[in-house]
Parts: sequence; C-alpha cells; structure tokens
Amino acid sequence: MKKKRIASKILWVLSSLTLIFLWAPMILIIVFSFSNNKYGSSWEGFTLKWYVKLFTNDQVRDALMRSLIIAGVTVVVATLIGTITAYGLYKLNFRGKQFLRTSILLPIVFPSVVTGSALLVFFTRLVHIPLGYPSIIIAHIVFCSPLAVFIILGRMQRFDWSWEEAALDLGATPFRTFLRVTGPQLLPAIMASAMLIFPWSFDDFVITYFVAGVGSTTLPIYVFSQLRFGATPVINTIGTLFVSITMLGMVLVYFVQKMGKSNS
Amino acid sequence: MRAMDEISVSQSQAQKREKRKLALNIAAYLFPIIIIVVVFVFAPLAIILFFSFLKSGPYGQIVYTFTFENIGAILGGGYGKVFLQSIYLALQTNLLCILFGYPIAYYITRFGGKWKTLWIFLIIVPSWSSYLIRLYALKTLVGTKGTINTLLMNLGIISEPIQILYTNFAVTMALVFAWLPFMILPIYAALDGLDRSVLEAATDLGATPFRRFFRVTLPLTRGGLLAGSILVFIPTVGEWLVPSIFGGSKIMMAGSLVAHKFTAVGNIPQGSSLAIMLAATLVLILYLTIKWGGREALEKAL
Repeated sequence: MKKKRIASKILWVLSSLTLIFLWAPMILIIVFSFSNNKYGSSWEGFTLKWYVKLFTNDQVRDALMRSLIIAGVTVVVATLIGTITAYGLYKLNFRGKQFLRTSILLPIVFPSVVTGSALLVFFTRLVHIPLGYPSIIIAHIVFCSPLAVFIILGRMQRFDWSWEEAALDLGATPFRTFLRVTGPQLLPAIMASAMLIFPWSFDDFVITYFVAGVGSTTLPIYVFSQLRFGATPVINTIGTLFVSITMLGMVLVYFVQKMGKSNS
Repeated sequence: MRAMDEISVSQSQAQKREKRKLALNIAAYLFPIIIIVVVFVFAPLAIILFFSFLKSGPYGQIVYTFTFENIGAILGGGYGKVFLQSIYLALQTNLLCILFGYPIAYYITRFGGKWKTLWIFLIIVPSWSSYLIRLYALKTLVGTKGTINTLLMNLGIISEPIQILYTNFAVTMALVFAWLPFMILPIYAALDGLDRSVLEAATDLGATPFRRFFRVTLPLTRGGLLAGSILVFIPTVGEWLVPSIFGGSKIMMAGSLVAHKFTAVGNIPQGSSLAIMLAATLVLILYLTIKWGGREALEKAL
C-alpha cells in the first residue's frame, strides 16, 4: 500500500512536469501580452496597449475576417458531409468499405506539406480553380471532413439505435425518422464535431499557405509573416486570443456532450 | 420442379432489389466523401506523381520530357540523406513521446480521480491550439533574447546567452513539444478501456507490479501506442515549421525540402517528386502499422 503511494507520487511529479512543459510557453505569451516590454519577451508592468493596437490594425482585422469566413463555411460543409458519411459507414456494409475508411484517414495523417503541395498543383495545373477563397475553402473541406466523419462515427458506436428502429417500425419514413428521431439524438455529436473542426480550420497554416496564392492572408499566415521580423507583442495578443477561443470551444464541447448524455 | 424454379427466381429478384437498394444508399450517403477522396485526394496525388517524372525549365515552367532525374536525386543523392535524417528524428520524437506520454496517461487513468477531466482538458487544449502559435511561444521561451536567457542573465548565472535555437536539441525539443499531446490521448484511451479484472487476476496470480506492467498492461495497450505513433511519427517526418523555426538553415527535414521547392524555388517537378516520395514512404509505414492492428485504435483515438 505504501509502495503504491510512492509510485503514485513519482508519477504525479513526472506528469506535472510534462504538463508544465506543454503549458509554460503558452502561459508566458499570455502574460507577456499584458506586458509593457516592446519585444514581448519579459515583464515590464501591466498594459492593454497591445490589444488596442491589435484591434486597430487593419491587416489583422482583414486576416481575422478572412479566417472566420473560411472556418465558418468549412465547419458547415464539413460537418454536413461528416454526418451523412458517418451514418452511411455505420449502416451500410459493402465490399471496399475498409478501403474507403482507410482512404478517408489519409488526409488526416498525411503531412500537411504533401496535401498542400498536391492540392496546389491540382488547382493551378489541372482544374484551374482560382487561388484565394475558393482554393482555401476546398482545401479546408478536404482535410476537415474526414475528421468530422471519425468524430461522429465514434459517437455513433456508443449510441442507442432502438429509437430509430421503433420509429421505422411504427411506419415513419426513413427521411422523417432521421429528421425527427436520429438527427436530434445525434445533435450533441454533430455540434461537438463542429466545435472541434472550427479551430482545426481556423488554425491551419501549412495547407492554407500552399493554396492561398497572393494576397489571401489568413490570421495564421499573418502571424507567420510577422515571425520573420522577429517577435512582436501583437503576436502575443493574437496567441492569447487563439488559446482562449480553443479553451472556450473545448468547454462548450464538454457541456454539450454532458447535455447529450443526460438527455438519452 | 416448376415451383422450385419460381422460388429461386423470386429469390434472385429479391437479392437484386436488395443490391440495388444498397447501391442507392451508398450513392446517397457516401457520394460526397467519395468525391472528396477521389477528386481531391487521389487525383492530386496522381498529378504530382506524373509531374515528378518531368523536368523544370529555366523559368520554372514544366518541360514535358520524361526523366528519372528527380527520383534519382532522392534515392541516390543528398535529398536521400535528408529523408533518412527526417525518419531518424521522427523515430526519436516518437520514442520520447512514448517515454513522456505513457507515465502521464497511466497516472491520469489510475490516480486521476476527480481531477481526471481537468487533466485531460489540459492535454487536449494544446493539441487543438494553433500549432504555429505554440511553436512561436516555445521560441519566445528559448530564443537568444528569450525568457530563459533573459532570466538567467538578470540573475547573474550566465553572462552570455546560451545558444539553444538552431541546434539538434532545439529541434528535438520542439518536435516533442508539438506532438506529445497526440501520443498521450490514444494511450489514455487504451488504458482507460482496459478491463481492471485482468490486472487484478495478474496480481492474484502472483505477478509483481513490474512484471504485470510489461506482460499485461503494455501488450494490452499496444493499440493505443500504435495509434499514437501514427499520429506522431507520420506528421513529424513531414515537418516543415519546426526545422525552419528551430533548426534554421542547419537542420533540414523532408517536409522543409518540399516546402522549399514549391514556395521558394518554384521547381514543381522536383517538389512533386519529393512530395510523392514522402507520401510513398509514409503510406508504406501506415500500411504496415494498420496491418499490425493500429487502425481501430486510431479511429477510436480521434
């Protein structure tokens, strides 16, 4: 018993150090985003001026708007595709299903440079889709839909399907059943996937950088362009906003899922 | 005889109807994802495969003559070395992630108690936060004018800043920092799904905790380890941002080569050949891992 307590203490120390390693840099830039230091890398007293600077910077506002539009469209389309695909994969059995599932995994696990460069060549040399909103949104749907598929599929496997059977047995059409029974029951899973896809799309740099072309600066591309000139406190404020949005999203997902559990 | 015939005819008709219904359903539900996979994943890969056998002209245009030059430059030349170095760095990152990730996943499962959700939350948030911002944050910490150096110099412990950036150590640290959460989560999922009674049985049968871990727990969480390794190893081989931010011009990885050829040089055939070789290497590794039993765990981890 005593041995076990020592083991758990050692593990606790190790785990805490790992967690500190993962969080220390993030916490630092959050702290420095409120610091007077003009290099944004040490503490020189509290200020909000970098946030004022951030919100009065036209370039940042443009980039932010662009990122929000792209992520918004991507979330809607990818979640829609993810939902019907997950439903199809769960319900149907056919030859080649395993192959299809593996193929859907490819855009998730491939390095972004491969996806990005392949799409760039495809857009510019074969189908001539203009670089900018169209190419970026298509690329985001390509790498976000698979994610939605697996998030929703995972939830479907722990799902009570007897309601759907009952509705069908009682004579509801499949469409009506989906609209009135299965859909609402799946809603927490669908919302969770939407909230997870949002940061996935909003944060993407590598693939977007490849297919953006000239002049379509998203927020991560703006950050990257600023990194070349060395760190600035403004990036600290952007980083703080990114982390806050992600945390807010995660908390929302948690509550939505809790709500889903207590409903069913 | 005739009755039997009629039955078998109606049976085959029913089968046909079933088949048609299935095909219709597949078309209805899976059409969009099949379009995505075929048009936007396979076709672009096919295009860069085709381009990797072509040449680049003096103004960056594509010359349509067939050549093995690009592939040869990877298999035999200096690019091959970069590929080997990337694979080496990715393996090292993967092992370090397991080494740091397993204890924390184990701790959360066994001793997390009421703090379990908070621990998981604190690991998921970095994995969903902007990757670029996280790397920038790490650079702020370890840079020449970074926080660690400023602090140590102000305290009088060192007089010259320590050079951390642009070393092998910096690249390795950044890779582990970037990918560690993606190793912890699948291992945690595997450990969490473990049947406690199996472990109790091992103890009852006289296994020491040490032996129990290596003979029971570890083999039973193999799926999680494999899934984590897919999520860590494959993107790491293709890293571009980490070597360019933390390695400078000294440390190249396969992903930075691809990015360099496309975004800086504009040599599409060479870039394509590098991308296709990278993809081929990784598909092979992915195939072996999935065959070894990683797919189910990977899907679960997502």
